[in-house]
Formats: sequence, C-alpha cells, structure tokens
Amino acid sequence: MADVAYESNPMTVSDTKIAAVKRSGAGDTRFRALTVAAAAIVVLLFLGMMAALTEGAWLSIRTFGASFLTSQKWNPVTEQFGALAAVYGTVVTSVLAMLLAVPVGIGIAIFLTEICPRTLRRPIGIAIELLAGIPSIVYGIWGLFVFAPYFQEHVQPWLVDAVADIPVLGTIFEGPPYGIGVFTASFILSIMILPFISAVTRDVFETVPATLKESAYALGCTTSEVVGSVVLPFSRAGVVGGAMLALGRALGETMAVTFVIGNSHRIHASLFAPGTTISATVANEFTEAVGDIYHSSLIEAGLILFFISFVVLAAAQIMLRILHKRAGGVAA
Amino acid sequence: MDAVVTEKAKLSVKNLNFFYGSFQGLKNVSVPLYDRKVTAFIGPSGCGKSTLLRVLNRIYMLYPNQRAEGEVTLDGEDILHGKQDLNLLRARVGMVFQKPTPFPMTIYDNIAFGIKLYERLPRSELDGRVEDALQRAALWGEVKDKLKESGLSLSGGQQQRLCIARTVATRPEVILFDEPCSALDPISTAKIEELIDELVKDYTIVIVTHNMQQASRTSDYTAFMYLGELIEFGDTEKIFTAPTNKKTEQYITGRFG
Repeated sequence: MADVAYESNPMTVSDTKIAAVKRSGAGDTRFRALTVAAAAIVVLLFLGMMAALTEGAWLSIRTFGASFLTSQKWNPVTEQFGALAAVYGTVVTSVLAMLLAVPVGIGIAIFLTEICPRTLRRPIGIAIELLAGIPSIVYGIWGLFVFAPYFQEHVQPWLVDAVADIPVLGTIFEGPPYGIGVFTASFILSIMILPFISAVTRDVFETVPATLKESAYALGCTTSEVVGSVVLPFSRAGVVGGAMLALGRALGETMAVTFVIGNSHRIHASLFAPGTTISATVANEFTEAVGDIYHSSLIEAGLILFFISFVVLAAAQIMLRILHKRAGGVAA
Repeated sequence: MDAVVTEKAKLSVKNLNFFYGSFQGLKNVSVPLYDRKVTAFIGPSGCGKSTLLRVLNRIYMLYPNQRAEGEVTLDGEDILHGKQDLNLLRARVGMVFQKPTPFPMTIYDNIAFGIKLYERLPRSELDGRVEDALQRAALWGEVKDKLKESGLSLSGGQQQRLCIARTVATRPEVILFDEPCSALDPISTAKIEELIDELVKDYTIVIVTHNMQQASRTSDYTAFMYLGELIEFGDTEKIFTAPTNKKTEQYITGRFG
C-alpha cells in the first residue's frame, strides 16, 4: 500500500532531497572504503612481518632444524645456536611474573572498587596509572642498582639458607647470591605488569551492576562473599583478558629484563641463577652479531617469540570462549 | 480503622529522617508495617518511597554519604542503631529489586547460594530447599529440567521469579519489593502479583510501586508519600475510595504524579 502511494505521488520527495541522499550515499561508500583499508593495513602488516621474519630466519631454520628448539648451546664462536635457554627464560620469567602480579593486581582492584573510601580512590588510581607510565629502562636501572644489591645482601642469603633442606624449594632457591638472575627479572617484570592488571581488573569490576551487588548484600552476604561469588564470576572474562594483556607485555619486555637477568645461555633449576630471554638475547647481541648464521639465528629467536605471543593470545581467546559458555553468556 | 489498631506491627518506623549528603530524602516518616500483610508505598518519582524501603534492610549503608535518623524496630527491636548485625538483619528482611538480578551462576546455584550463606545442609536436603523455593516462586515447573543452566538464560519474568525464589529460600520474615514489575510485561506482572498474594500467608510484605492498580490489587495497606513526607496511611480500600487528604485524592485520580 505504501509503495503504491509513493508511486502515484512521486512529487512527495523533492529533487533536492534525492540529490542529498545520493551525495551522502557516495560519502558512505568512501567511508566504508577507508575503514576497509585501515583494517587491511593491520592484516598486511602482520603477514609482512611473518614473511620478513621467516625469510631472515631461513638460513638458521635450514641449518639447525628442530635442534634450534631443543639445544641450549649458544656459541657464536663455533656458530652453534640453540634457543632453548632463551625460550625457557622467556616462559619462566613471564609465568613467574604473572604468579606474583595477578593476585596482587586483583587485590588492588578489589580494594579500589569495593573497600577503599571514595576520597582515596582517585589518588590511588592515579598512582597506578603513573606506575604504568614509567619507561622500562627506568625499571631496569632501578632493578640493577637498587633492587638487586639490596636483594643480594639482605634477602637472598637468608632465603637460600632457610630452604636449603627442603627438597624442591631447596633446588629452586640455591646457589650463590648474585642479586641479578631469573628471579630478579621476574620480580621486576611483575612490578611492571602490576598496573596493567590492576587497572584493567578495576575497570572490569566497575562494570558489575550496582543492583547485582546490592542484591547479594541484601541476601546477607559479606563483602568477601559478594566479591567471591558475584563480582569475580561476573567479570571473569575481563579479568582473564587483562591478565593475558599483561602476559603479552611480560613475554616481550626487553630492556628491564636485559638489565637484571644476567644474560647467560644456560638453563638452571635455580631461579637465583642468571638466565636469558629471547628479547634480551636479541637486544644484547644484535649489534655484535657477525656472520649470516648468527644473524639468522637471532631472527629465528624473534620468530619464535612472535609465535609464543600468538599462541598465548589464541589460548586466551579459547579460554575466554569456554568461560563465556560456562557463565551462560555474560559479557565481559 | 479498628482493624488497623489491632494488627501487630512486624516493622515499625517512627520519626524517620533520611539524608543523602545534605539533601533530606525523608522527613519525619512514621509508619507501621503489619505482620503477614502487604503494605504498598505509592507516590510520584522522588517522593522517598524507595528510600524508605532501603532503610528497612539498611542496604543504604553501602553508600557512605547516606544516613538515617529516627527509629525503626523489627519485632520491637531497634535495627537502626547499635550493634545490629547487618548480615543477620538482611537474613530476616529480604529484598527483591526493580530489575531482575540473577547471579552469574546456574539456576540451582542461584537459590542454593543464599541458603548456603546461613546453613550447612546435606545435598539431598539442599535439593529439597531449592525445589521448595522454586515452587513457592511458581517457577519450578518451568526450570526443573534445566537447573544446571545459567540463571541468565531465563526470560525477564522468569529471572524476577528466580530472584524471589532466591529471597524466599533464605527464609526471611519480611520481603521488600522495590518496583518488582517495572521491567516486566503484563503477563509476568500478573504472575508476580499472584505470587505476592500467595507469599503474604507466610511473610510480611512491603512493595514499592508506581502502578496504582498494582497497589490496589496486591496490598492490604497503602502509604502515600510525597516530597519525602508520608501524607496518608491506611487500609488500601479506604485510601483508594475515600482518601482523607486532598493530595492523596489528586494523586490516585491521576491529576499529578
């Protein structure tokens, strides 16, 4: 009926209106093209990066094959390269940093959203953001000149003695107190990712509807019951997302780690021993890498880091999807 | 009026003043809430009816700039001052909110959660309590085959009845309803109203509503509030047929509000 009415009375739509609609239609096409191009750039950059890294690493991949991943021999003199120690260091420092930072970060977020008096929220929030803004080189310097000596003198010897007779702990915390090492690197890393975790977690906690919390309190819940049974389950996906973002940063963090990890291509059971990470290795050795195979090996290490980050992100996505399903479709 | 005098007040509010910071939300309000009766608070937006409701389980205490002065007693016992245990008070005075607020867990756990806060029960007994609560909220038939599904998978009306079941499950003495139907369709609303008729046999019920028909249908007593003051309180029938106050009459005949 409406169509017929329009056809029988074409003058209801003026020509200027039609022209205006056509003009904005053309504008919309251009707008779409621009956004498609912007999205395409990301994909192209990703593919280009993959291609360039693979090409650069090709010599190393061909020469060492799988042994690049299983050998911890890193010898520029004999040109034998295996990245196992660096991969191990990368994973261990990041995981340890997460273990230290996630509980504290969530604790900070809970305090800020549920317990902290309103007047203190802003100052503490700003302090956390400032902490996130400190350049990593500053953390590196602080770690090397302030934390490591203090740790070496006051904490390490005592800790080594204290746990020496305990089977597993004794092995994890043994050896001479260098101050620097895998543990120190993890500790610095955890401080660096702490602001990310607490800031993201706080933002996610703030999306929990006030009435949802009120109804838990109205049932007679205490604050810890509200947090444990309502706030955390409701914001699970967001918290995992924030933690993964932090893990991504920890995996790739270079400068601060390079300062305090000791840069040794050897895997030790003890966390107090020096080690290395992929990014620390690349940063340290790229300028002095002579010879194609050395160069190519460093690039392959980079490719592996790229791959690890990719796997972590993919795992995070899968995990989020599982959590999402279990929670019955609660959005982050 | 005689009936009013002989009823026993479960909750009694006397000379209550309430402040949001420096703004006074309630002015010298006194009202009795009778045992196993439905009392409705009506009035235009901002008149203080929800505020009054939120004093009764002291949920306002979550917000540090809100405070109440005066006297509120539950079974003759002061609940506004002193060392009143808030969690215990809320176990006795349950609340259902305007929007359905199922917790992010399964239908079963939504109910069991509240029970487990107060009692340690063997699984079989807990199952029984969950079923009983869902029965009372007239939801059992609709969810008995999907207790393991998320509470959020239910429709809005079902979610609200889940919230009522959750409140009932903790066995309170008083249930506060804060505009429980304002987010629901007419059919769900009718179900909730039926439910209130049923629940009042065992519980003292207070309902805040914007809907005057709802107040007249569900309640035994009605309190009309305006600008933070209690204008008139009495038998619902009397308030709706022969109000003594001119303001009340204007409001219920729809001349403002």
